[in-house]
Amino acid sequence: MINHKHKMQYLSLIIPAMLLFSFGVILPAIMGIYYSFTSWNGMTPEIPWVGLDNYRNIFHDSYVKNAWVFTIKFTLWNTVLQNVFALLFALLLNAGIKGKNIFRTMIFIPCLISPIIVGFIWQRIFLNILPYLNILFGTDINFLLFGSADTVLSGLLLANNWQWIGYWMLIYLAALQTIPKYLYEAAKVDGASRFRQFFIITVPMLAPAFTISIVGITIGSLKVYELLVSATNGGPGRSSTSIIYLIYNTAINGRQYGYGSAISITLIAALLVVALWQLSFLRKKEVQL
Amino acid sequence: MIHSNFKRLGISIQKIIGKSVLYLVTGITSVLFVLPVFMVLNYSFKTKRELVVGNPLKLPETLQWDNYSYAFYRLDMLRSFTNTAFYTSVSVFIIAIVAGAAAWAIARNRGRFFKFSYIYFLIGILIPYQALFLPIYIIGYTMNLTNNAYGIIIMYVATGLSFGVFLMTSFMNTVPVELEEASFLDGCSIYRTYFSVVLPLLKPAVATLIIMQAFQIWNDYLLASLFVSKRSLTTLNVVLQSLFSQQSSDYSSAMAAIIISISPITILYISVQKYFIQGLTAGAVKG
Repeated sequence: MINHKHKMQYLSLIIPAMLLFSFGVILPAIMGIYYSFTSWNGMTPEIPWVGLDNYRNIFHDSYVKNAWVFTIKFTLWNTVLQNVFALLFALLLNAGIKGKNIFRTMIFIPCLISPIIVGFIWQRIFLNILPYLNILFGTDINFLLFGSADTVLSGLLLANNWQWIGYWMLIYLAALQTIPKYLYEAAKVDGASRFRQFFIITVPMLAPAFTISIVGITIGSLKVYELLVSATNGGPGRSSTSIIYLIYNTAINGRQYGYGSAISITLIAALLVVALWQLSFLRKKEVQL
Repeated sequence: MIHSNFKRLGISIQKIIGKSVLYLVTGITSVLFVLPVFMVLNYSFKTKRELVVGNPLKLPETLQWDNYSYAFYRLDMLRSFTNTAFYTSVSVFIIAIVAGAAAWAIARNRGRFFKFSYIYFLIGILIPYQALFLPIYIIGYTMNLTNNAYGIIIMYVATGLSFGVFLMTSFMNTVPVELEEASFLDGCSIYRTYFSVVLPLLKPAVATLIIMQAFQIWNDYLLASLFVSKRSLTTLNVVLQSLFSQQSSDYSSAMAAIIISISPITILYISVQKYFIQGLTAGAVKG
């Protein structure tokens, strides 16, 4: 059916996407690699080549280390918390209650809000709303989570989880609805408890959804930036400076494009390695089932 | 007595308690999730005095619509609002057409090039543009694409294509090949077939793509803050961020600005919820 003329025409349908994508994603990636070997400041016409110097410096830079520690902690906690709560809420909403759509929409609403706004909203909650509870109940709880290096991570996790749990809940909810009912009926006949049914039917059947949400949450958390801009400014001190935040400070404010590019490349490498490892690991699990 | 009545009706007390707990937990959770949004709405109608004095959860005595008109006109939100709407709608429109065409070509061909391009686009999903923002900025800057409405649109399209190609490819098996073949037999060109046969059949996929990319672009801050510093080209989130960093005690207008900026996307979501959830199911769970 498809002759040679058609094939050429099909090619022409891919070309626009190819060109735009190459220009906006692949070309920057290649340029980023090139700049990472230079000490360019972004302004001078000559771009001095320094070889691996930037990469060597990264290992001795305590700012980079701090940023990675923060980003990794943030990512690990998010992966655990968002998955657990998203699945929990999905199970709740899937337990045959009326008004499911209304509850679902209520939990999903925060996903519609830009992270810049989310950061500001939670700053206000910690500053203005929660301290009022102390007055109300005569307690003395420190609600200013963004205010100290010890609590800033919890505050940001709270804000970020509030925003994204609804999204992953929708994914789990959709996956739960694809599980055939007869599986549960058969298990019931065999005398399996609710608890056992969950582990022998629900969990394995959700494997594709686990893959998607674990990879998605990891990628999403490693690139955290906007939330920090309006919530903490990367502080107090540098306690909530993420990798992207650090790249921004280094390159745009500090005029070290070469060094900033090298840090970007480490982030890209981490994203690719972690995502591909997770994908292959989790997909293998899916096949076994 | 009551217990035996329930038994006769086939209702166990255990079940009733179970259901009540279920509703209670779900209800409390949902309310907790919307509470911060309610707080924003509540603050957006308060006077400056009400912000500092008294119970922060108390409703405003009179609705201060002034906060809204102040945010909209005095803070020049009208312009950033129009800009954001323009960038979002144009970018999303182009992404849908271009990504759909590429996805169709990939799904209908077996050749090496088509397989390669599928994997090529995959890179874009695994590397979010935020990790590439520095070179993207350098390219934009050297090619005079910064402070240029078309420059930022090109970048939004380029960075949104990967996701688009993937989503559309996974939907392609919903389009029967026979219809395309019939269209070729009728003498339609491949372009004509794409626009008049394939695209209309892909409506749910296109709707999903449009919604998801619209969220993404409407809510973007990093690219917008790098690319458009000129006041006349700036976007909502950039204006909001500068407002957030200035405000000290008067944040009621900032709250009104937030409500203005999240309204269009919320209305969009609620009106196309059905497609969105369909798309998530097909694109994410099966993919």
